[in-house]
Amino acid sequence: MRPALALLLWTSSLAADVTFVGDVRPILESRCVACHRGSGAAAGVALDAFDSVRSLVHAGDAESSRLWLQVSGTPPAMPKGGRPLDASQLTVLRDWILQGAPEGSGPPAPAVWWAFRPLQRFEPPPAAGWGRTPVDSFIHAKQRAQALEPAPEADRRTLIRRVTYNLHGLPPSPEDIEAFVNDRDPEAYEKLVDRLLASPRYGERWGRHWLDVVHYGESHGYDKDKPRRNAWPYRDYVIRSFNEDKPYARFVEEQLAGDVLYPDDPRAVVATGFVAAGPWDFVGHVELREGTVDKRITRSLDRDDMVMAAMSTFTSMTVHCARCHDHKFDPIPQADYYKLQAVFGGVDRADRPYDEDPAVWGKRRPLLQARRTVLAGLQPLYDQAARLDNEETRAIDGAVAALRKEISGIPPAGAGSDPARRSALQAKVAAAQKERQEITFGLLPEPRRSQFQALRGELTRLDAALGALPKPAWVYAASNDFARQSNFSPAWSPRPVHLLARGSVEAEGSLMTPGALSAVAGLPADFGAIDAEGERRAALARWVTDSKNPLTWRSIANRVWHFHFGAGLVDSPNDFGRMGAEPSHPELLDWLAQFLLDNDGSLKKLHRLILTSAVYRQSSRHHDAFAKIDGENRSLWRMNRTRLEAEAVRDSVLAVTGKLDLTVGGPPAEHFFFRDDHSPEYDYARFDPDGPGAHRRAIYRFIVRSVPDPFFESLDCPDASQLTAKRNVTLTAIQALALLNDPFMVRQSEHFAARLERERPDLPSRVERAYELALGRAPRPEESRALIEYGRAHGLVNACRLLFNLNEFVFVD
Amino acid sequence: MTSRRDFLWNLGGGLGGIALAHMLDRDGVLAAGTHHPPRAKRVVQLFMSGAASQVDTFDYKPLLIRKAGEKFDPGGKVELFQSDPGPVMKSPWDWKQRGQCGKWVSDLVPHIASCVDDIAFLHSMVSKSNVHGPATFLQSTGFVLPGFPAMGAWVSYGLGSLNDNLPVFVVLPDPRGFAPNGPSNWSAGFLPAMHQGTMIRVGRPNPIHDLFPPDAAAFINAKSEREGLALLESLNRGHAAGRAGDSRLDARIRSYEMAARLQVSAPEVLDIAGESEATRKLYGLDDPVTEDFGRRCLIARRLLERGVRFVQVWSGADNGHPRRNWDSHEDIAKDHGEMAAGMDKGTAALIKDLKALGLLDDTIVYWTTEFGRMPCSQGGKGRDHNPFTFTSWLAGGGIRGGATYGESDEWSYKPAEKELYGYDVHATVLHLLGIDHERLTYRSSGIDRRLTDVHGHVIREIVET
Repeated sequence: MRPALALLLWTSSLAADVTFVGDVRPILESRCVACHRGSGAAAGVALDAFDSVRSLVHAGDAESSRLWLQVSGTPPAMPKGGRPLDASQLTVLRDWILQGAPEGSGPPAPAVWWAFRPLQRFEPPPAAGWGRTPVDSFIHAKQRAQALEPAPEADRRTLIRRVTYNLHGLPPSPEDIEAFVNDRDPEAYEKLVDRLLASPRYGERWGRHWLDVVHYGESHGYDKDKPRRNAWPYRDYVIRSFNEDKPYARFVEEQLAGDVLYPDDPRAVVATGFVAAGPWDFVGHVELREGTVDKRITRSLDRDDMVMAAMSTFTSMTVHCARCHDHKFDPIPQADYYKLQAVFGGVDRADRPYDEDPAVWGKRRPLLQARRTVLAGLQPLYDQAARLDNEETRAIDGAVAALRKEISGIPPAGAGSDPARRSALQAKVAAAQKERQEITFGLLPEPRRSQFQALRGELTRLDAALGALPKPAWVYAASNDFARQSNFSPAWSPRPVHLLARGSVEAEGSLMTPGALSAVAGLPADFGAIDAEGERRAALARWVTDSKNPLTWRSIANRVWHFHFGAGLVDSPNDFGRMGAEPSHPELLDWLAQFLLDNDGSLKKLHRLILTSAVYRQSSRHHDAFAKIDGENRSLWRMNRTRLEAEAVRDSVLAVTGKLDLTVGGPPAEHFFFRDDHSPEYDYARFDPDGPGAHRRAIYRFIVRSVPDPFFESLDCPDASQLTAKRNVTLTAIQALALLNDPFMVRQSEHFAARLERERPDLPSRVERAYELALGRAPRPEESRALIEYGRAHGLVNACRLLFNLNEFVFVD
Repeated sequence: MTSRRDFLWNLGGGLGGIALAHMLDRDGVLAAGTHHPPRAKRVVQLFMSGAASQVDTFDYKPLLIRKAGEKFDPGGKVELFQSDPGPVMKSPWDWKQRGQCGKWVSDLVPHIASCVDDIAFLHSMVSKSNVHGPATFLQSTGFVLPGFPAMGAWVSYGLGSLNDNLPVFVVLPDPRGFAPNGPSNWSAGFLPAMHQGTMIRVGRPNPIHDLFPPDAAAFINAKSEREGLALLESLNRGHAAGRAGDSRLDARIRSYEMAARLQVSAPEVLDIAGESEATRKLYGLDDPVTEDFGRRCLIARRLLERGVRFVQVWSGADNGHPRRNWDSHEDIAKDHGEMAAGMDKGTAALIKDLKALGLLDDTIVYWTTEFGRMPCSQGGKGRDHNPFTFTSWLAGGGIRGGATYGESDEWSYKPAEKELYGYDVHATVLHLLGIDHERLTYRSSGIDRRLTDVHGHVIREIVET
């Protein structure tokens, strides 16, 4: 019956000259090769080479060809778990077999997309009379080809303001400016760069960039947006990693799987806060019952966020586009995507204990591991016991039902509510359930009962040993070991991850083992069956950081460039695929990636290289003719002028008024009124602008997902639920109003005036000092006159408020 | 004694004296022409937070009356959000046929019932989640995940502003608090920040955040503002003069002019003193029960009248206790009764008022909620979530009045036909605005994003021909 039906459907084609190279291979590439590639092909069937495919067909006879039979049944056996090949694809396959299955010649396999090509070692072009570093040679060569010329070097006052903002997100002090401007040392600028890189302010500035990229937030998002009280240790870890110049490969490894790869280092546990950084559906995880469709959707979407964050951040690939179907533009089959989901199949986001003291951690870690093993062993016994009953337990069940009925009659709040009585009844239910459980443990058959008793004894011993240790610190991180919260509990072994047709949890296909992108040549994309949860993440970490993975090293080199120039060499830092931008200077990008690899992944060395280049030191001056050739300045014939980010604006105001509190790290400053509730309230309007923590650097403020701080939002601070590689820059009325009227700005204007009054005796000298502090220069005579006149009429505070609103205050040349 | 802020509000803002020589460029990406001629220019979205019951409002099911109290057995396993299914529960309100079209509507919403000939009802709406957060996102942004632009942000991005003094997209939250997901329901997501919803918190001392300086700042007065802003502009022009070729410097100067206009326009639009007694009564401002939602509907009308493109009015806060939104798990009669009183009167007033002013022809009124409620009880007097079917409706702006499209089954448990998603309503609203929902896109992290993701069909059956 089946072949006849197939015949009926597939014999209509008259196409001539169907060949493997021209017609069949593209179909197999798009639908089959993800699983059936090379030596590790599924079922030993490789479909990526002519010879092996040819061995699966009888030329001229489709119905006896294994390849045809596998894909043409109703339903077809292959592609396993995916949608069947469509009619036109089947027609091609059939015609090819009927026509003798020729290899054919044709255009060679499509050229490899630039991002997947191996890193190449390019020689910098010979210098042609301009430049200080190899970086400049690459830039200048391209300029020459376009008849562009570099801009002259910026003056020292401009340079120190630019580089200080770039590395610290703060203005240089007037004293630092004067010292630099008057420094006769020919290496004065290099010394300045080194000093700035050595300061802890650097990590606070660049750490914030990283937090954008990884969509770090301190509440869950969604409904009932609960605060994450223990997210901040990850933020501190990021800052510290930048300041310590942690080798990039190590930085990546720790964030994906530090707990497994560096088990003795408690901070490597903190690093996995990366995995947990994104939003989390509290109601879906905690309130939805196990076994429901929505529960499965919740978990699948949660893993989707982890996959998306990991692959966007480290490889600049939009892997998440392959959730419902093969990626439409990049060589990423759906199977790759679900292999990556399997990497995260066993982790959740939860609070996890660690110790600042490695010695204590050295004791705690084995105890926690042993305890987890005991709990995993107890779970099936708990489950079995829960199904047992006797007369005694049935009596308890009856009593519990009665109690529950009573509880349901008391409104949780409002009229007729009785919270005390309600919680007393709830406590009774809990006690009765506990009693029931204890009885059923006794009902377990041997040898289960003895096993249970032994395990329970072990648990008591471990808990006592843990209790004897100093209290641990907590971090919100990747975890497979946390206390159950209602319907949210850890997976004792990784949850099965299936390929989902159309991304639907109700259309499960093959069970997936962990793996990564098959399009990266030379690295095993299949990690094989790995039982241990952490080893899956460790395998991904090794795949990402391999020196042969060109995506990783180009990605970070490009990000660093982006944050120095305001635009990356690839202007879509999270998308190196076909929908993204192509590199403006591909050789330079590879050269920088190679530089990082050659320098042990030191970002500080890369910063120094870029910052000391002639291209970075150019003035931002305009040039009409060049603008006509390259209006977007992709060839960097001048420096880009940038507008300060929200954090830099706020930090600068504090620096200028002298109020900046440079306390490092620790719990975040809450710039809002907080009231916990069913859905907690976060109200920014009810916060004293001089309140606790108000003067700390903005990286230390508490970031609420559902209710963003309106001041920061107006200055384009991104939504903490979006992975943001590159911030928007807008200039809106709402932003103008925020800088004019926000209680913080108004209060700081008062502090600024008070500082000036303390430091200088009269209005003219105060105006001069104000310019030095806010803009890093003396006022021109007409500016001075105008400000003095305005200050006389309306007071120094109003004059200060005006300075904070100048274009010059928020733009950096 | 008048506070300094009152003084500013009364004067129409301290920045008003600046010469407004420049208009801000506030065009949308379709400024040169929409995809097809639009039927509507403006949208007001009324969002019932917490899940308003279809079986107690617009989706009439005689079977629930006949089988009231019997076991709920629609066939197959019934999976509820937080409970086990109780017996079939009929609505506490009576049903009547209304208007020329004879639509059955319950007595819970008698005022909206008087507008049925202007309304097209959709009874086979389906949600992809039975959890408030993701489901609310699905209706507000078209995605179940956080971080995506709101429908109003997309309209702003596509069509830009109809006026020079007010934001393009305005949100009027429930004063009792934010709906699930909070302000991320009206976020610009990855779109530029100017497209985000501007919140007007009616009844607060500062309805628009930072519109005016805090009262305590006594050193700021109308004259200091006027002269200060003039000086700011002159200093900024001096700075820009030495930096040719950077339009952002000029744009930022103009943003202060726009801010000044907003300071004049916003207090005016919020000041309803000039509205007639009849209008105030129509919106229920004479009754404390209906006053809040009515006032916000009236302000919505004033915003629409002055060229605001998209107004979102929220009925309901979070899902906490005592109930302050439509999430009536415990007691439908009491909780829906309280929620509906103001909503019903204000909504009907808005439709009638827009109609009287001739604005309903090109203004879409879009009433929605995140999902429906079950035809059975959940044990007591309340109803649990029903993601499988719920009701949304549209009126005005090219919508065929008196229409009903898409039916639920005999229980109103699941769709009987023509499953509809928020995508389809979004596509329809964009269509009426002259936009092909598949062609209004924004590239974000490698994907050409749309309001409707990869879904959405225009529901032509409810569009006037």
